[in-house]
Amino acid sequence: MQIKLVIGEKVDLIEINNNNTVKDLLKNMDIAPETVVVKKNNCIVIDEELVEDGDLIEVIQVIYGG
Amino acid sequence: MNSCDKCGNPNIIIKKKQSGQKLCKDCFIKSTQNKVIKDIRKYKLIKKGDKILLGLSGGKDSVMLLDILNSLRKRNIIDIIAVTIDEGIHGYREEGVEIAVRNAKKLGVEHRVVKFKDYFGITLDEIIAKNTLKDGRRNACTYCGVFRRWIFNKVAREEGATKIATGHNLDDETQSIVMSYLEGNIHNLTRIGPKSEIKNKKFTIKIKPLREIPEKEIGLYVIAKELEVHFAGCPYAIESFRGEIKDFIKQLSNEHPTIMYSTLRGFDKIKTILKKEFSNKSIVMECEKCGEPSAAQLCKVCSFLESWKK
Repeated sequence: MQIKLVIGEKVDLIEINNNNTVKDLLKNMDIAPETVVVKKNNCIVIDEELVEDGDLIEVIQVIYGG
Repeated sequence: MNSCDKCGNPNIIIKKKQSGQKLCKDCFIKSTQNKVIKDIRKYKLIKKGDKILLGLSGGKDSVMLLDILNSLRKRNIIDIIAVTIDEGIHGYREEGVEIAVRNAKKLGVEHRVVKFKDYFGITLDEIIAKNTLKDGRRNACTYCGVFRRWIFNKVAREEGATKIATGHNLDDETQSIVMSYLEGNIHNLTRIGPKSEIKNKKFTIKIKPLREIPEKEIGLYVIAKELEVHFAGCPYAIESFRGEIKDFIKQLSNEHPTIMYSTLRGFDKIKTILKKEFSNKSIVMECEKCGEPSAAQLCKVCSFLESWKK
């Protein structure tokens, strides 16, 4: 299935497996969940949220290194 | 079933690892505001009639602090002057300053932007460009911290502020405790806390109302409230020991989500004894060059500035 992924100004259409959660998605991208807030279809969601076909996922980095 | 523990709303935005509490957007915002106000009362950080100098960088911590303290201003409990320090970090600070200006304007809060260049004749970029680590210069955060404290203290007196409020959060405070301990700097440990003590009438009391709020929750708060915030990392942060400690504590927190709270609670319990045994009893005098309070003939700012003249 396909989702639209927004990280900062970067927008990508990516293929992901069924039954993936936000946490799985972040893990695949090597992003620490503790450093970001994630929106699904413009609403803030928790890590356990399921990602579904056609979703718009926005990853907002709120904690920076150092 | 994931639903808000307070109102039952199925759209939760946080499941706190440390407590398991689940909250929807509205209940999270309200509970965070209540926690900050409760801490302000608990630690007696603010009293009616205070004029608060609020350090407003435009980042998430200071914007959230402004949002919450403004509720006290609107109820005529306090007055606020927001102060943004422009250290002169090209490509980073400009956007933060613009966002700070817009946040203060939106709330109708008095605001000043003060520059390193105007007070010291030099920007942080120039300091770092002129001196290399090989030549024995300190890391950028050391200069920045010393210069910022000097400016806040001076501007607080210029503006008649009774308190200086900063957006230090739980992560910052835990890092400070661990750093000071690992460096063996027990004197620094005695100065960590929600409220500073003044040893000289030229010092203004510093308060940290967000000291018990985790950094991640501050990020969540500003996004949930749709506040305009400068999300970016300082380019000089990579030089700092604090950065290493931050990564270390973050890593530990993944498996031990209460570790920052326990570090803070444990420290707060031993702080009284630490202060009794290790508090610096040195006399605070006035810097012979700038007149600001100092532990030596020259304050740290003037000492740095003089060393660069040689």
